[in-house]
Amino acid sequence: MTAMAGPVLEARDVHKAYGRHQVLTGADLVAERGQLVAVVGENGSGKSTLLKILAGALAADRGEVRLTGALGYCPQDPVVNENLTVDQHLRYFGAAYRLPSLQRADTLVDLLGFGQYRQETVGALSGGTRQKLNLTLALLHDPDVLLLDEPYQGFDWETYLRFWDVVADLRSRGKAVVIITHLVFEQERYDLLADLAGGRLTHRAPATEESRVSS
Amino acid sequence: MSAADLARLAERPPAASGAAAYRQFPTAWRFAVRNQTRNRLAGLLLVAFVPAWYLLMLAIAGHTPLRFRLYSTGQVLTVDSGHLTLISAGLNSLTIIVGFAVFAAIRKTLAFDKRLVFAGYQHATLIAAKTCAIALLATAVALYTAAVLLAFWRPSPAGWLAILAGYTAMALTYGALGLLLGVLVNNDLEGFFLIIMGGLMDTFLQNPLGNPLANKPVLEWFPSFGPMQFATGGSLGHTALWGHLALGLAWAAAFAAAGLIIFRIRTRTRGSCPA
Repeated sequence: MTAMAGPVLEARDVHKAYGRHQVLTGADLVAERGQLVAVVGENGSGKSTLLKILAGALAADRGEVRLTGALGYCPQDPVVNENLTVDQHLRYFGAAYRLPSLQRADTLVDLLGFGQYRQETVGALSGGTRQKLNLTLALLHDPDVLLLDEPYQGFDWETYLRFWDVVADLRSRGKAVVIITHLVFEQERYDLLADLAGGRLTHRAPATEESRVSS
Repeated sequence: MSAADLARLAERPPAASGAAAYRQFPTAWRFAVRNQTRNRLAGLLLVAFVPAWYLLMLAIAGHTPLRFRLYSTGQVLTVDSGHLTLISAGLNSLTIIVGFAVFAAIRKTLAFDKRLVFAGYQHATLIAAKTCAIALLATAVALYTAAVLLAFWRPSPAGWLAILAGYTAMALTYGALGLLLGVLVNNDLEGFFLIIMGGLMDTFLQNPLGNPLANKPVLEWFPSFGPMQFATGGSLGHTALWGHLALGLAWAAAFAAAGLIIFRIRTRTRGSCPA
């Protein structure tokens, strides 16, 4: 895939500490239009902290984050309201994004295969279906930059494949997608892998199927 | 995924505009009310607890004559101890029911509200919708509690309206306290403890039957002082103590203002994220 030029997300020298515990010690990350980036790290390495800082949900102690265009942010744990139905969530976020229609929401619900639960309250839904809603809420306004924290946890195989179809569509239209994960499967899907260790990111090109076979 | 699915997905939604399908305030208002009224435990408490509490308190207090001085006017009243206890019991049940319902609803949705703000919801709109929903809930619960009272005691119409007004001020105060604690405390137990113990201490100390010191100046500084004085003065002393009703409403406004300021702080974003 040919990425269009120009970074849409740029983080420089990001520092963050919780008390005396230094989590990020100068993390740098750049994502360009149409790029799919994985931020990979062990549990507790600071991945979610980094994503929150990139999203603007958390302030960094030091450093700079620049973002161009609309942002979609999908937190690791579904942030939903158990008392409201799926449809009510879509209307609520449609109002938040000031969307003139919920046409895209309908499409996403169909694609991720949870249309039969639209009238159900979220408190009655399985973890996987909540995660589908969580993802849909981040995609509703067709953002230019999408930050996803372990987005496919709880997905069945069919939904997992559909998730990648959605990501492929976003990339083909020049959207940048950053996925945070502790385990990266199918490295060849990504344009860039960024390993988070010791509070810093180390960039590397993903190993292709061929390079893995030859090594 | 079929080609048609991909084509549908690729259709860019029209840009955000004033012609949004769902206006922010009506949507937030509707769902805030729904969120408040979905609390089934609070609903059950409301329906069953209020008459049970009246019945129990009346059985304990009996109907003996009680002489006490209405603090605000200095008027010495001889009243039925049961009637005074019913007013106190109604105020007490409101503190627990409304405080608990609002606290639980606000606390459970704090992260969700933050996500809504992050997605572009106006703070002021969400705050206004929540405030209106809490006020509606508090008024409805106060009305129900005042209506159930009629099964145990029939004061004059003006007296009943005074009790209703006192109940409403009390419900608004503890609804606002529930909001404040919902955005302030870090776990459920702290909030429930503060509402239950605070409400019990507050209302118990205002009743001269339970507390012989009920006319001490220190009681003026309790949130239930104004509503208790207004309800008692109106129903038993034939006096409309408007200043005391205003005092009760001032407590509600103070708790609400503090809660909404903290809500705004806790749901703010860095501001660099266009939605």
